[in-house]
Amino acid sequence: MEFTIPTTIPLQAYLALAAVLFCTGVWGLINSRNAVRVLMSIELMLNAVNINLMAFSNYLDGQLIRGQVFAIFVITVAAAEAAVGLAILLSLYRNRETVDMERFNLLRW
Amino acid sequence: MFLLGALSSVADAIGSGAGTGGLNLQLNAGAIAPEAAVLIALLTCLLVDLAGEKAASRWVPPICYAGLGSALVLLALQWNTPDLQPAFVGSFLADNLAIAFRAVVAASTLISLLLSWRYVEQSGTPVGEYAGILLAATLGAMFLCGATDLVTIFVSLETLSVSSYLLAGYMKRDARSSEAALKYLLVGSAAAAVFLYGASLLYGLTGGATGLDAVALALRTSASPVTALALVFVLATVAFKIAAVPFHQWTPDVYEGSPTPVVAFLSVGSKAAGFALALRILVGCFESFDAQWKLLFTVLAVLSMVLGNVVALAQTSMKRMLAYSSIGQAGFVMIGLVCGTEDGFAAMVLYMAAYLFMNLGAFACIILFSLRTGSDRIADYAGLYQKDPLITLGLSLCLLSLGGIPPMLGFFGKIYLFFAGWADHQYLLVVVGLVTSVVSIYYYISVIKMMVVKEPQEASDVVKAYPAINWSVAGLPALRTALVGCVIVTAVGGILSNPLFTWASQAVTGTPMLVQAIG
Amino acid sequence: MTIASITQLICFVALSATLVLGALGVVLLPNIVYSAFLLGGVFLSVAGLYLLLNASFVAAAQVLVYVGAVNVLILFAIMLVNKKENLAAIPGLGLRRLLSGAVCGGLFLLLIRVAFTTPWALPGPEAVGEEATIRIGEHLFSDYLLPFELASVLLLMSMIGAIVLARRDVLSSDVITGEAVDQGLIEKERTPLLLENSPR
Repeated sequence: MEFTIPTTIPLQAYLALAAVLFCTGVWGLINSRNAVRVLMSIELMLNAVNINLMAFSNYLDGQLIRGQVFAIFVITVAAAEAAVGLAILLSLYRNRETVDMERFNLLRW
Repeated sequence: MFLLGALSSVADAIGSGAGTGGLNLQLNAGAIAPEAAVLIALLTCLLVDLAGEKAASRWVPPICYAGLGSALVLLALQWNTPDLQPAFVGSFLADNLAIAFRAVVAASTLISLLLSWRYVEQSGTPVGEYAGILLAATLGAMFLCGATDLVTIFVSLETLSVSSYLLAGYMKRDARSSEAALKYLLVGSAAAAVFLYGASLLYGLTGGATGLDAVALALRTSASPVTALALVFVLATVAFKIAAVPFHQWTPDVYEGSPTPVVAFLSVGSKAAGFALALRILVGCFESFDAQWKLLFTVLAVLSMVLGNVVALAQTSMKRMLAYSSIGQAGFVMIGLVCGTEDGFAAMVLYMAAYLFMNLGAFACIILFSLRTGSDRIADYAGLYQKDPLITLGLSLCLLSLGGIPPMLGFFGKIYLFFAGWADHQYLLVVVGLVTSVVSIYYYISVIKMMVVKEPQEASDVVKAYPAINWSVAGLPALRTALVGCVIVTAVGGILSNPLFTWASQAVTGTPMLVQAIG
Repeated sequence: MTIASITQLICFVALSATLVLGALGVVLLPNIVYSAFLLGGVFLSVAGLYLLLNASFVAAAQVLVYVGAVNVLILFAIMLVNKKENLAAIPGLGLRRLLSGAVCGGLFLLLIRVAFTTPWALPGPEAVGEEATIRIGEHLFSDYLLPFELASVLLLMSMIGAIVLARRDVLSSDVITGEAVDQGLIEKERTPLLLENSPR
């Protein structure tokens, strides 16, 4: 079997990279005990989505680049979400003095 | 040069060759006039709030009524538009389905706001910002009902979600409220990220288009694992928004920890927007994967009905009980979605409208009770009929309607759903629906029994120490109006439900997408 | 193989290696401050990937918004809530991590399979390259005008909401009746659900 190095980077390489990032984010989301780290994991997932969008935009939609516009919206919304998330986290920290997810059990699941 | 490019992309997006008029004509901005009214009310609320807390509590309520009232009037004027054109170059479509669900959203906000004033003042949180955030959530939900483009869907979904997180955590000195907000935010953002991953796959699949019609076209010609994956990802988000089991875990916590008027909005307005999104994406885009998503939704519906209604039996908190019951109610509405017939869709619309009044009526009663006593435990309602007949009567009627007892509005909605399901041979769903309805009647009746049957000496301590009824405090008359209005519609609406049936079936026949799906 | 494509390939490999290692560090490192700095590295390497994908404007936006705003915000939050916490051990944590790792691995295989088996519409049209910024502007004022305007409402609301939630002031009395208030839920907790939480 002959293995050749591709001359240009294939679309699938970007998709695979996005998949790695997304799955890492999902794992962090499930397993993090620090609420700030959960927020970071969500940012990882959103970045994975953006890589997907940008890759499709470049390879399949090179003229109209709608994917780039979509990615800009994702970035905007992610920033808003992070700000709100950290505000909520601060107000919770004032009430509970902890960021441990395992101790946010005032409400039963 | 650029203009030419823009125009050609505009013509592309429209799909039909109506691209010769000016830009004004193509934007068709009249379609979002109701949202504009809400937006103006939002900005005015924020400006008035600058004048201080006293001015805000005086002026914010009338501003909100004016904005939402004119939104409802404008929606009524849009009904049955003869020549339906997409607005904003294919981002938005004001068909009858969108109008019906937007009306449900706007009405639920209006009623939730009527319920809110006293609650917000009594908890000492700022009124102006509260109304502003709730109106922003409404704006997001209303745009979500008519969005026909993945980007618009995403941004409006997030407007609704981010505002909902803020509202859930609005009682910031209460650990339960902050905790509910954090859980809601984490689960909600994760769901949004999953939706986006699905959306990015769909974008790749279409080869670079984000309009739902282009997505539908691309899905019709491809049958590979990618469509299944995109379907599952998108469906997970929809199920999260309508709180279908097993994506419901956030619901009881968020409902218990959030301010009660916010719960009222989340259980009706947010859910209605979720169902509109479900119809647009599943019926509009995934029509070639009918069998797959219908199977998935059958499972979700059965699980929701069973788990929601069975777990509600064991609850001791009124808010939590209504949370689980709302999961069950969403399961009933999903029967209509699975049918995919004209009756099924019409029954969905009808049931959402009925649910609006009966659920908000029930919430009006429990908000009034907690304002007077500071409690929402079911046991504390014991013997209430002697102290407060209005709450007892209103809550009884609304709960009976939620349970589906004959002369009430909820009965007609439910029977229409079951009829549509039976006609479409969804026997499993209908039988599960009937059985779980009986279960739900059991726990609704046990609340009523608690209020009515107990002897005076058996009344709870809370009821024994019940304060004298006083309607003179600002904000309470609004609550009373909402309570009485919802209860009257719930009780009498059943007898006069004929216009509602016509309205619901017009909502389906006036929607090209649904007409096409019915075939 | 030209020098340009070799450079491109080397850049891609280097960026993906930083990206993957950084992401793993974000979720695995015990010290949250290191995680936050690594997250900045991840954001920067994603911006580098955007440059490889002919998207200089979005790369700049990524650096400005993600590295400049989101990451700094996260660092601030860590500093503000950074109390030494001794996390109580949870039985079966290792097993839980392994199981969720297996689930994520399965998800990864699925995503990879989808990425490689789907017949994407390749090759697409030629990329616009430098004109991308102009194209984005055209989109924002034609077919994406509605989400663009709606995003402004979203940003306004999240700004106001974040201020309301994070500021410290407390109204001490009900504006209308003048009674004392505490900015908590009206439904008070009767019986504490948890013992640790009763003396607050």
